Amino acid sequence: MSVDQRLGEAGRMPADTRGTSRLSGETVTIGVIFALTVAMILGSRVISPAFGGWNQAETILYLASFLVFCSFGQGLVILVRGLDLSIASVITLGGVLTTTWLAGDNGDLVFILPAILVVCTLVGVASGIGVSLLKVPPFIMTMATGIIVYSLCLGVTRGTPRGYPAPVLNDVMRAELAGLPVPILVLAAFVAGGFLLQSYSTYGRRLYAVGNNPAAAHVVGLPTVRVTIGAYAISALCAGFTGIMLASYANGATLRMGDDYLLPSIAAVVVGGSSILGGKGNFLGTVGGAILLTTLATILSALGIEQGWKTIVEGGVILFALMVLREQVYEALRTWMGSERR
Amino acid sequence: MRTLKTAKTLACGALLAGTTLAAAGPAHALTDDGRFLIYLSLSYSGNSWQSEAANIVKALAQTPPYDEMVELVEVISGTDPQAQISDYESMIAAGADGIVSFPISSTALNRVVRRGCEEGVLFFMYDATVTEQCAYNISYITSGFGENTAQALVNAMGGEGKIFLSRGVPGNSVDERHTNGAMHIFDQYPGIEVVAEYYSYWDDRTTQQETAMALAAHPDVDGIWAQAGEFGAIQALLQADPNRLVPVTGENSNGFRLALANPDYQAVGLAGVSAGSPPAQSGYAFKLMMEILQGQREPLPVGERNIEYPLPWVPADAVTLCEGDTFADGCNAFPEGLVPGSFVTEVFNPVLLPELSLASALEGEPTPGATIQPLPADVVVAAPNEPGINCQRCEPPADLYSLTKVEPTVEPN
Repeated sequence: MSVDQRLGEAGRMPADTRGTSRLSGETVTIGVIFALTVAMILGSRVISPAFGGWNQAETILYLASFLVFCSFGQGLVILVRGLDLSIASVITLGGVLTTTWLAGDNGDLVFILPAILVVCTLVGVASGIGVSLLKVPPFIMTMATGIIVYSLCLGVTRGTPRGYPAPVLNDVMRAELAGLPVPILVLAAFVAGGFLLQSYSTYGRRLYAVGNNPAAAHVVGLPTVRVTIGAYAISALCAGFTGIMLASYANGATLRMGDDYLLPSIAAVVVGGSSILGGKGNFLGTVGGAILLTTLATILSALGIEQGWKTIVEGGVILFALMVLREQVYEALRTWMGSERR
Repeated sequence: MRTLKTAKTLACGALLAGTTLAAAGPAHALTDDGRFLIYLSLSYSGNSWQSEAANIVKALAQTPPYDEMVELVEVISGTDPQAQISDYESMIAAGADGIVSFPISSTALNRVVRRGCEEGVLFFMYDATVTEQCAYNISYITSGFGENTAQALVNAMGGEGKIFLSRGVPGNSVDERHTNGAMHIFDQYPGIEVVAEYYSYWDDRTTQQETAMALAAHPDVDGIWAQAGEFGAIQALLQADPNRLVPVTGENSNGFRLALANPDYQAVGLAGVSAGSPPAQSGYAFKLMMEILQGQREPLPVGERNIEYPLPWVPADAVTLCEGDTFADGCNAFPEGLVPGSFVTEVFNPVLLPELSLASALEGEPTPGATIQPLPADVVVAAPNEPGINCQRCEPPADLYSLTKVEPTVEPN
């Protein structure tokens, strides 16, 4: 893509609406997503009397946490105009290493867990180098690293990953602290940390700069290569972490454990209001997207309808959410609110 | 190089011509060094069950005297029938003597299988089946997993309560067969209410997630009928409330068997039975094929090639831990730590496959010192007709869903 083209894209900026309203599109998206989720949870009481309460919310948060972990990394990569297709394989890698290296032993946990995360991060660094230095399209690069990593797992384990995660990890997944399940507390800490990193740190601002206009970012002297590699590295780190959590949750690893997270991680980011083309997005939106998708799955599962209809409804709701949350709708909303004030 | 290729092509052509003349008989298209050329054709690799089944065949092929007789080539086709069709075509063209295979579709492969049969290739399908009658199907599918486990669940629940159905892959003929068998039983008990039915794709982790969701809506469930992936159902129950377990029936994962035998779990309500698909079917299929190829056993007539593998049946009180790394003395589960929870225990069969050890299933390694033992002469048990599964236009027997492993202890209404 030439500089001209990129500038051309930037040139198609929406009309200047500052001053008409303090309401930003991002805030609306996040608000709408969370409102929709709460409405769905409360409304689901109609389906089952056990629904609509804290227990259901707890299950949803618990199951959504895995998706949130890997979607954060996916979000950063998408922010810098990329796409990480290696997520599924790196989740598997994290899970397989958790069971094989720990082998059901608590002993060296403090050394092994960081080691697993380092190995996973290196996979991301490799993808990042391919994308930013060798200029391989992200789609191809991450697909390649994903296939290689998966094949290594398959070859080394010969199809049957051995061992168990450390018992203490499995206990942590079932433990409660101050009346809350520990994984939900981990989720809360992760969301806070991720949000600060993406929206308030220097590195986060650089990601937006590179995603918005890589050429301009380069011209003003930002280390675009390092920033891009960093995004892929963090994505792989998060995927590895997801793998550790999943293996602890399931008390074992399988080679297909990451497969269910690749497309949902992209969907969570996009439903959460980020642009698939990069440069725009907010982690809280992604968190909302992940929780919304999980809520939807939980409710559909309780509806007792045919599998075919289930997936049709699921697809329909995702499409509906994307249509409603489109930029034009905010524009209309802003204009409308602006005219109301006048 | 080129001359070699030409020579091979010529040899191939000659063999093909020869086998076409020989029609239905075995091909004996031995390779250069006089070995049988056998293909192991898999759907996909990457879950414990598929890997174990493949490893068993690999281990047997390296066990004397097969190690001197067999050239085994493994081909993985993925989940797309089209890919397996073209792989079969290549194997036939390469002059295969036999193809041991997990078929991806029960109907889509028929044409190429028939063509292979006409060229003298032996087809031995394990676990999954094809409806083409010239292929041998070695499968437990007809052995009544669905109805027997359903009855065991009903018995354990006293004939009343809410249940989940954790199914396999939507639209799959095996899943349909199991579920139909189970519903045949559940429908006889008005006190049994199916409150949630979900597809778990025969995968532990998916089962755990789907069961967790169903538990959110129905925390008061009284029993779970599961196909493969049942270890995940146990994990989900433990996660939701470690002090309230319910009866679960499922397949053969080691983790499930250990859980069934765990007195702490039994005390809080876990009961059930472990049955279902044994990876050992692949080894049985391979040995049967080798005996026919070597002329030790007469080929079965076309139309009588559906062979039933006995249904493993291990209730909680029958779980016994193996001391060593084989299924010696009737043991049927391994201590925790030796194998992962998702490991499918039914890899061995002391009668049909005494050659195997744990290393065979995990690594595909032959057992040191073992030699191939002949199958019992009267080993073959004919499987009943199941339309769409092992025959095309055929009638199922009237007693298709009759119970074979368990008696009702609660009277149906």
